Amino acid sequence: MSELLDIAKGAIKLAMDKGAQEASAGTYRSREVEITWRDGKVEKVSEATTRGLSISLYVDGRYSSVSTSDLRPEALSKFVEESIAMARTLAKDPFRKLPDPKLYEGRANVDLELADAKYQEVTPEKRRELAAALEAAARSVKGKGEILSVETSVSDSRSESARATSNGFVGENAGTSFWLGAGATVKDPDGRRPEGSSFGGSRFFAEIPDAETIGRQGAQRAFDCVGAAKAPSANVPIVVENRVAGRLVRSLFGPLGARSLQQKQSFLEGQLGKPIASKLLTVTDDPLIKRGFGSRLYDSEGIAAKKMVVVEAGVLKTYYVDDYYGRKLKMAPTTGGSSNLIFALGKKSFDELVKDVKDGIYVTGFLGGNSNSTTGDYSFGIQGFRIEKGAITSPIAEMNISGNQKDLWKNLVALGNDPYPYTSTNTPTMVFDGVSVAGA
Amino acid sequence: MANAQANPRSAQDKPVATIRYFSKFGVDENMLKQTLAAAMAKGADRADVFIQHRVSHTMALEDGEVNRAYAWVELGAGVRVVKGDQTGYGYTEDLTVDALKNAAATAAAIADGPSRDAPTVFRADPGSHPAFPTRYTLERSWDEVKPEEKLPILVRMNERTMAADPRIKKVSTGMADEFGAVLIADSDGRLVEDIQPMTQLWLSCTAEQNGQRETNGYNVAGREDFNFYTEDRLSRVVREAVARTTILFEAIPAPAGELPVVMAAGSSGILLHEAIGHGMEADFARKNTTIYADKIGKPIAKDFVHIVDDGTIEHARGAINVDDEGNVAGKTNLVEGGVLTTFLHDEISAKHYGVKPTGSGRRESYKHAPMPRMRATYMLPGPHKKDEIIASVKKGIYCSNFSNGQVKIGAGDFTFYVKNGFLIEDGKLTKPIKDVNIIGNGPKVLEKIDMVSDDLVIDEGGWTCGKDGQSVPVSQGMPTVRVSSITVGGRKS
Repeated sequence: MSELLDIAKGAIKLAMDKGAQEASAGTYRSREVEITWRDGKVEKVSEATTRGLSISLYVDGRYSSVSTSDLRPEALSKFVEESIAMARTLAKDPFRKLPDPKLYEGRANVDLELADAKYQEVTPEKRRELAAALEAAARSVKGKGEILSVETSVSDSRSESARATSNGFVGENAGTSFWLGAGATVKDPDGRRPEGSSFGGSRFFAEIPDAETIGRQGAQRAFDCVGAAKAPSANVPIVVENRVAGRLVRSLFGPLGARSLQQKQSFLEGQLGKPIASKLLTVTDDPLIKRGFGSRLYDSEGIAAKKMVVVEAGVLKTYYVDDYYGRKLKMAPTTGGSSNLIFALGKKSFDELVKDVKDGIYVTGFLGGNSNSTTGDYSFGIQGFRIEKGAITSPIAEMNISGNQKDLWKNLVALGNDPYPYTSTNTPTMVFDGVSVAGA
Repeated sequence: MANAQANPRSAQDKPVATIRYFSKFGVDENMLKQTLAAAMAKGADRADVFIQHRVSHTMALEDGEVNRAYAWVELGAGVRVVKGDQTGYGYTEDLTVDALKNAAATAAAIADGPSRDAPTVFRADPGSHPAFPTRYTLERSWDEVKPEEKLPILVRMNERTMAADPRIKKVSTGMADEFGAVLIADSDGRLVEDIQPMTQLWLSCTAEQNGQRETNGYNVAGREDFNFYTEDRLSRVVREAVARTTILFEAIPAPAGELPVVMAAGSSGILLHEAIGHGMEADFARKNTTIYADKIGKPIAKDFVHIVDDGTIEHARGAINVDDEGNVAGKTNLVEGGVLTTFLHDEISAKHYGVKPTGSGRRESYKHAPMPRMRATYMLPGPHKKDEIIASVKKGIYCSNFSNGQVKIGAGDFTFYVKNGFLIEDGKLTKPIKDVNIIGNGPKVLEKIDMVSDDLVIDEGGWTCGKDGQSVPVSQGMPTVRVSSITVGGRKS
């Protein structure tokens, strides 16, 4: 660990020696192993330890940011020299400084439990065993049509990083993660070969999701698409599965970034303290959750991580303000990017929510599409099922939802009690009213 | 060192290879031989070493000043070991014999048998020019271009954009350049080096009118040098970015449902990329997971539909001399006269099918194993005229600019996102439309391409294709085309 910090501190010294007045440096080393398994045997194994260094340079009021994997001393020295020369050619930027060291203060004194000490105990045999178990579980699922192929994967990584700045910040971090995935392709009598997949992971190997469940879900999701067809275009309620609702949340949260605001590319500009969603939406950004995928003690600029309410009962409480754009906007920095997003949950289960909807569309996946952060206009391809008389019925394909984010979030009419665990955006099932769905 | 003639693996009359670019990093034949010997130590079918040095720079302007610059250096090597359809992969940032042998030993674990021979001599394959293509030779290398030369271009782009229309409130523009070098050495004794430059210029602007804001932009890219940025091209970037943004004030949401869609010449090639290109990548066919797996030799489109994937377009973003397995990239017919012809192959799929690789084995970097990928995908000109195509549509939409697309290769469903377009009413382009996703099914849509014009344009934009977590630069092109019916994801009135 301290070796990485030494590299970061060495890079700062090098930068200052070569003419920078301020600098920050981050360095990482990570071991990444992935095994892909297909139809009874290993398809691919990739394993490596990789590393890199990045440096931000503040030179005579000018700024450049560089990174390299070539850490040979002479090459690094030449690279820093060239990078400083490059910075000197630029226009001055009075807003570009290291953060005020006060922002580094108040770092939580807790063990976030992000690194599993038993990481090394995962053997190649264990990975193969899990990969084979995932396949066996997938193949045990019976559905309409035949399974054409099953591909599973088992991956793990351990990464360490260190960061230092010339104005006193020092931070070190280590994390592990373990992932399982299973995907199947099945034959649809109409000639299509629909695919489905499932995956899940954990920070600690002992908490890795059950391979049987993930494997079965992967195949089930493929069978679910057999016979999929377009439903008619309509304005209907949609139920969005917890696993994929993060896609919509990201479209709402992207425009909360200070760069979007400062560049006039945010439809949420001027909305602080105002309702941007229905009263049901309360979202907290909580970086201090033990074993969370998005957990951290400090952000990428070194700002001490703090829990913050972003949306409370539909009202916008804060933007994501990094140090640089915060200075341009004269706004106090919060943090430049989200950590774990935690949602106030509803009381109802998924099944109850579907029953309440009566007639609509259940969205289990998004396909392409985009959301315009300046205007809030969105249009996304969807897959899923029809909901008829409160029950999930036939699968749909080649359909799309469209509208504006401002309307979408005000029409959030229910959240489930089922936060999705395998990501840093722990969305529950979400129900939106009156969404324009295009199909036949 | 063994004599080339004495070793059957050194093959034919190819000249013995010498390491040019990577010798300055201490890479020599001995290092490559030891690495490949370690890779073949457990009886693999084949192995290769991929060494990469890539230096990228970006300068960018915001709020009127060029006040940020970025640089990236990637140096590293990946070792791949192949046994049947199985792959072992290891990589390292240390270009030392020990580190490379270590990566090779990791990769070799995929095989489980007695050691196989590694090459004793490397041949230059496909040899020197003219056999070795030269599709992006530059008059001036990017490492000779000083930041001071790039900066005034960005300043001027900003001034012109702000002056072009009083509604423009924010401009952001940037220039990226890249010097890339790769070396591929394999257990067959082949040794190839290629220098792969790239540059891109983008301009995005936000305009305001009566309290409404709109953002859009334009970009140009290619394996080009600094001379790419001619007066003509720079003017076009400004003109397009401004026009594409300000027209949005008049744009209405697109309708919802199945409609005839006319795809404009140029970046509409995104339809081909998603509807057929990915599905023709032979790794998916080998795994039986693409909707096109059993359709080779079968008619899938009208007989005037010809679709190619082409690595040979000089200076195109999607051009490559050799792929990342060392095979010369050619021009591959995906659809000829409406009939599905050839998959895009890497070494593994080519061996699986008993055909020649198409030079489509590409990878993002030394951290990744190659797989079949597209290069420049486009449709050849057809028998119709643009005006005739638009005039043929009573009620539909015309799509001209795009931001992104996606496909599910098994089910065949694909989408592309339209940033700019028009309604077509009674055979004429009428109101502008914006921000609409279009969704269809690959084979069904190909069947419904019923008019193809003679105005093929290869788009000059900086397209990047993602697959399995790996990004590679690509190009795309299209003549004006009519799809008789496809689902437009607009708003239900």
